[in-house]
Amino acid sequence: MSNDVMVLGGGIAGIQASLDLAEMGIQVHLVEKLPCIGGKMAQLDKTFPTNDCAI
Amino acid sequence: MLDAGRHPKINLLAYSEVEQVSGEVGAFQAKVRKKARYVNEDLCTGCGACVEKCPSTVEDEFNVGLGQRKAIYKYFPQGIPSTHCIDAEHCRQLGQGKKCGVCAKVCQAGAVDYEQQDQLVDLEVGAIVLATGYDVFDPSVIPEYGFDRIDNVVTALEFERLLSASGPTGGHLDRPSELALRAEIAELDKDLNKLNRQIEKLEEKHGKKTSDFIGEFQAGKAGEDGDFERWAALAEKAAAVAEKLAPMKKREAAAHTAKKLAFIQCVGSRDFRFNRFCSSYCCMHSVKEAMIAHEHDNETTSSIFCMDLRAVGRGFEEYKLRGGRSANIQYVRGRVAEITEDSHHNPIVWYESTTTRKVEHETFDMVVLATACVPSSSTPKLAELIGLELDENGFFKTYPLVPLDTTRPGVFVCGCAQGPMDIPESVAQASSAAARAAEVVAPVPKAAAGGGE
Repeated sequence: MSNDVMVLGGGIAGIQASLDLAEMGIQVHLVEKLPCIGGKMAQLDKTFPTNDCAI
Repeated sequence: MLDAGRHPKINLLAYSEVEQVSGEVGAFQAKVRKKARYVNEDLCTGCGACVEKCPSTVEDEFNVGLGQRKAIYKYFPQGIPSTHCIDAEHCRQLGQGKKCGVCAKVCQAGAVDYEQQDQLVDLEVGAIVLATGYDVFDPSVIPEYGFDRIDNVVTALEFERLLSASGPTGGHLDRPSELALRAEIAELDKDLNKLNRQIEKLEEKHGKKTSDFIGEFQAGKAGEDGDFERWAALAEKAAAVAEKLAPMKKREAAAHTAKKLAFIQCVGSRDFRFNRFCSSYCCMHSVKEAMIAHEHDNETTSSIFCMDLRAVGRGFEEYKLRGGRSANIQYVRGRVAEITEDSHHNPIVWYESTTTRKVEHETFDMVVLATACVPSSSTPKLAELIGLELDENGFFKTYPLVPLDTTRPGVFVCGCAQGPMDIPESVAQASSAAARAAEVVAPVPKAAAGGGE
């Protein structure tokens, strides 16, 4: 039995899932294939419907 | 992003890929390959001195090929982990076997390590959350939209990079045709400078100006010298390059940023040749891009060509109306049949307007294709690796009443790996998937949950 969780993909969904699990005190292994996490959302300039900055 | 990089409970394995998954819910064993960065993460301070000196230039994936990066690079400025990485394939030292080593020389932290090897990490986990995202549909398979042929037809993600202050144009809406023109001018300028330097040396050596020399040479009065043939050839070449440059520079001086934009919806989605599904976020994405472009320059006008504009979400309908009222956006109901190009690289959009019931055409500065959200290219391989089923569209299969459970117990999916969705929905799903995974690895004792005996 292991109490760790592996999250595959470090985009907005992977980051959010990892943070939620980590905040519950669960050890997370976040695996991202690119050199940095951030995913597609980091490539966006602003987000709808509030035109907030994406990063 | 920063929080995820810093959290003591998150082991961040960036630049890594899963190679093997075995076991079952509660006790999965995974093998993860941590690819060699050739930069020691613990030593690198992220100062970027190596990037400045690196001699190899490559197309920048983060800017979707619109900009350039070096072989040693940081994926994007705010990237986490805040460390550099060498792209071995394009590195002179690692990939091409040439003598270089410049980055190692300039790195004051001594972080560059050409000997670094891939590492295999063994993980033991109770549950897996898939958040592998999506790929942008490649519009070059739709010949009538001319994405391959016409410079100023771009994808929504490319347009996003052009709008971004940290993008390749610093947030100016320069058209790709002008970016290409500028690159060509820079290349020719470099050639011309090289020729001029050689000519100057000859002028100094012989003590006369090229213009005088050419006159004499052509009249056969220059006399005999080993240099003269070469001098004449160089002068001729330089004149030819200068002649080619003049009209290009004139065109560049007359260029302006893109002010008249067209957005084409459902490119690759709701199209039975490619994907039957609706990609859900592109309608609002186009409205947003048109609004931001208008914010940058309030002379900008946009036409959004759509079958119908789907503003389904909190505040979306109001956002769409606000765009039409205050950001010069015109919504045109009609499917675009073809895009052609005029002699000034302006795309011409041909469409059937369902309001006037006529086939019409209009010329724009730039056309943005709202490309579909398609399953990530890694999805089929990952599904095989973990033993998961895919749905009819190629996303991870889930069931309506347990929308985050895949076909294998203990493996959950969230975000666009499950199907197209926007950011708020991805975030909501991610939190739910985290809760589902927590139920597996950290079940609350029945007594505490109020269900005890």
